[in-house]
Amino acid sequence: MNFLSSTLAEPQSFQTWEKLLLLALILLSAAIFLRRFAPILGRILHSKKDPNFTLAPVGKRSWDFFWEVICQAKVIRERPLPGLAHAFVFWGFCAFALVTLNHFAVGFGLGFLDPVGFFGRSYSYLAAAFAAACAIGIFGLFVRRFFVRPRWLGRKVSYESGFIAALIFILMVTYLAAFAVRSASPAATALWWIHALSILVFLPIIPHTKHLHLVLSPATIFLSRGGFSKIPPLVGDEDFGLVTGKDLTQLTSLQAYSCVECGRCTEHCPANNTGKELNPKQIILGLRGYLNEHGPASEQNIIGTYNSITADFQCTTCGACEYQCPVGIEHLPIIIGLRRGAVNTGMWEDEHGAKLFLALERGSNALGMPASDRDKFIQKQQFPVFDGSQEYCLWLGCMGGYDPKGREIIADFARVMNYLGASYGVLRKEKCTGDPVRRLGNDLLFQQLAESNLETLAQNKVKKIVTICPHCVRTIQEDWKEFGTPPAIEHHSEFLARFADKLPRPNQNVRVPQVSIPGNQNLTAEQEARVPQVSTLRPGNENSAVEQEASGHDFSRAENSPNPDRALAPANNKIVFHDPCYLGRYRDVYEEPRAVASLAGEVVEAPRSHQRSFCCGAGGGLVFLGEETGDRVSHTRVNELIATGASTIGTACPFCNSMFRDALAEKGDAAPQLLDIAQLTARNLPPANQQ
Amino acid sequence: MKIIVCIKQVPERDAQVRIDSSGKWIEESDIQFAMNESDAYALEEALQLKEKHGGEVVILSAGPERAGTTIREALAKGADRAIQVESDNLNTLDALGVAQLLSAAAKQESPDLVLTGLQSDDMGYGQTGVIMAELMDLPHASLILNVEKTDSGITVKRELEEGWFQNIDLPLPAVLMIQSGGTKLRYATLMGIKKAKTKELSKVSAADFGASDAPGAPAAPAATLEKITQPPKQKSTQIIPGSPKEAAATLVEKLKFEVRII
Ligand code: SF4
Ligand code: SF4
Repeated sequence: MNFLSSTLAEPQSFQTWEKLLLLALILLSAAIFLRRFAPILGRILHSKKDPNFTLAPVGKRSWDFFWEVICQAKVIRERPLPGLAHAFVFWGFCAFALVTLNHFAVGFGLGFLDPVGFFGRSYSYLAAAFAAACAIGIFGLFVRRFFVRPRWLGRKVSYESGFIAALIFILMVTYLAAFAVRSASPAATALWWIHALSILVFLPIIPHTKHLHLVLSPATIFLSRGGFSKIPPLVGDEDFGLVTGKDLTQLTSLQAYSCVECGRCTEHCPANNTGKELNPKQIILGLRGYLNEHGPASEQNIIGTYNSITADFQCTTCGACEYQCPVGIEHLPIIIGLRRGAVNTGMWEDEHGAKLFLALERGSNALGMPASDRDKFIQKQQFPVFDGSQEYCLWLGCMGGYDPKGREIIADFARVMNYLGASYGVLRKEKCTGDPVRRLGNDLLFQQLAESNLETLAQNKVKKIVTICPHCVRTIQEDWKEFGTPPAIEHHSEFLARFADKLPRPNQNVRVPQVSIPGNQNLTAEQEARVPQVSTLRPGNENSAVEQEASGHDFSRAENSPNPDRALAPANNKIVFHDPCYLGRYRDVYEEPRAVASLAGEVVEAPRSHQRSFCCGAGGGLVFLGEETGDRVSHTRVNELIATGASTIGTACPFCNSMFRDALAEKGDAAPQLLDIAQLTARNLPPANQQ
Repeated sequence: MKIIVCIKQVPERDAQVRIDSSGKWIEESDIQFAMNESDAYALEEALQLKEKHGGEVVILSAGPERAGTTIREALAKGADRAIQVESDNLNTLDALGVAQLLSAAAKQESPDLVLTGLQSDDMGYGQTGVIMAELMDLPHASLILNVEKTDSGITVKRELEEGWFQNIDLPLPAVLMIQSGGTKLRYATLMGIKKAKTKELSKVSAADFGASDAPGAPAAPAATLEKITQPPKQKSTQIIPGSPKEAAATLVEKLKFEVRII
């Protein structure tokens, strides 16, 4: 049969009783749908209003909607094959909207797409093409869900999903088959009824299955909070974060019901992948379960049956989940919201957490060191003090000010700034930006730290800040906004990339051997000149032994590491760059640090890089908490970086650096060297600038 | 059980202190203040006793206006109400003078237990609590790490030298000087701070305790402060030569017999 000459067969016109039956079935299907959907909508609408939510900028929202919903761009980009399959199902559904409307109209003798007319016929061919694609797509998804069974889809096989896939498949096949039969034939009538019944059965299933995302996710994506990990302000005297149902906002509830249970969040979650309890998908489904059982007005605690406090505090706030979620669910405001609820009410009890909080209540830095240590370091380095005349305020941060390794990075960055002739100064006093306490949900401390720092910066008339820590950058630029107007800030990778053509190259000043044997002690005179300056940077921590022991992460390890960073000549000049979460996903800066690193060697990529980079394990305040359960995130990541064969791991965050340092310490002599991009750059400075 | 906790506001641990023009005190304008560390432990002990046995925790603090922030912090951590004793000449009072003020205020509350920190981080007299006990005619014990309630009173654990401890029973009411490190401190919470706003903070002045010869009125200071100085800077770094093994042995030797810290 010539397919192109065939037309879509329509059934014989119906008897009155058939029409009545059809009408009754439609009403029944719609009624069940509404009965199930109305309470869900009610729970969303009765949740509390989102503070600070504005529809503006509508342009950006519309674009995101077009790109992520209509084009299915994110769905496809992050999982190309199933993503495409899904996209065809989605586009098929869109193309089918008109077909479906016409289908039922035909039942009542009111069909408006004439199967032999030009438009109707063309449209039916278009729909047929989509139907074919959709049938193949859904078959593919079916095979994946029931036979391939990726771990993150959950251990339980969902028969509902299978049933729905079958319905969609039947819908498409019955549509296509109608081209092969004659109009008004019994076969045409039978196909018509099967098609119609499939739709009528499908509709009531939507609200209580993951297919609810068909209805909700377009709204979820359009109504996002706008901004990565955007943490809403607490409003009024009774708001402490997500404690009970009363604290769930409309957006949170909408998102909880939009989850399509695809498990992408969990697939990319570093905590879940290293054997921890945390499962971001379960966090969202937990909220849904809570809403179903208690509703948004409940005073029942969310943490408990539907949520585990242990899991909440295993999150590194890496943002992989939020980045990956195809339906626009924003995990971070939720996870941090739950932590806020637990910390702001004093429910969270954790030895290391309390130590961190107390250190910041009484002192100035998260490492719990005396502030005089920072003064000594500044004196030793002879950093100019910021007096308002310089262009940049060089923000040291807790790591740059107190951590031995962080100090090396900041000192090297200062050397590069000197070389470039940039004018900068450091503040006499600086407090922690509040990043760890912000992510751990301690709003009291965060506000105190943010306000105190904002005041210091204003007093000193700081206009521009540059720093080596992406956590400082993010917290100052975004999170402090709640309490004032922070100065402009940039990360040193952005600063350095702007001066890329002025930065020193290898062999411009010193000869960097391309190939040599690790551990070779026969250094050339030039290498000698280059190597020893590290050791002049060992800070005195005489009085900090106690505090160091107090924090979960051993910040003093850097000094005992068997893997001195400026190790001897590297085996190759490949640098594998590790994207810090707070620079990449949080700030969208990917190319700048690579541009800087590429001046020192050939940049190679780890299997997971850029937006999909895998966390080092430090974020979310976790570096200050106790030992991890399961594998260490940092070890998993370091193994992946080592496997690239690069001789150098390039970092752009002092926390990543510290985590990797610990992880590499176990690798012995075979470990690659570990250098921040500032250090990679400083190594090529002419000897005069090395001091 | 009604517990009074005496709290002092002292310069923050990290503060870079400068000596003021009088040469008798430090420049206060450019430093921040915090709760005295051992007082924080006294408060924690009181809160834990209240959690176990019920009752009330009342903060008592003698200090200028600025001490209010520290008092609020104590309320935020869970104390029920506070009394601030204000006096113009607190600066010039010695331990006896302060103890007179505090004990006069404390007596009016008829507490079951009075807790103070072992000593203040700024002046470090370590006297106030002991004198208070004397003035209030109550039994007292010092260097306390832990307090347990018993049927007849309390059992306290004292820390002695060289890792020795002593457990003693005391009747109630009593005065205890609490030492740092006996328990784990709680962190301040947003909810606590919000609740603290509505808690009662009553202010009393020295004059409220009657005429100058009354027991509450400060006596003319028996000790006066002449002058304060910055500690002299001295560096005595020693490099210990030899193989790691020898050097370690010498180091242990020195730590044991020269510095006497192990
Ligand atoms: S932010 Fe990262 S660690 Fe936290 S739940 Fe999401 S993926 Fe997991
Ligand atoms: S939260 Fe998003 S990414 Fe995670 S399972 Fe649900 S829809 Fe998928």
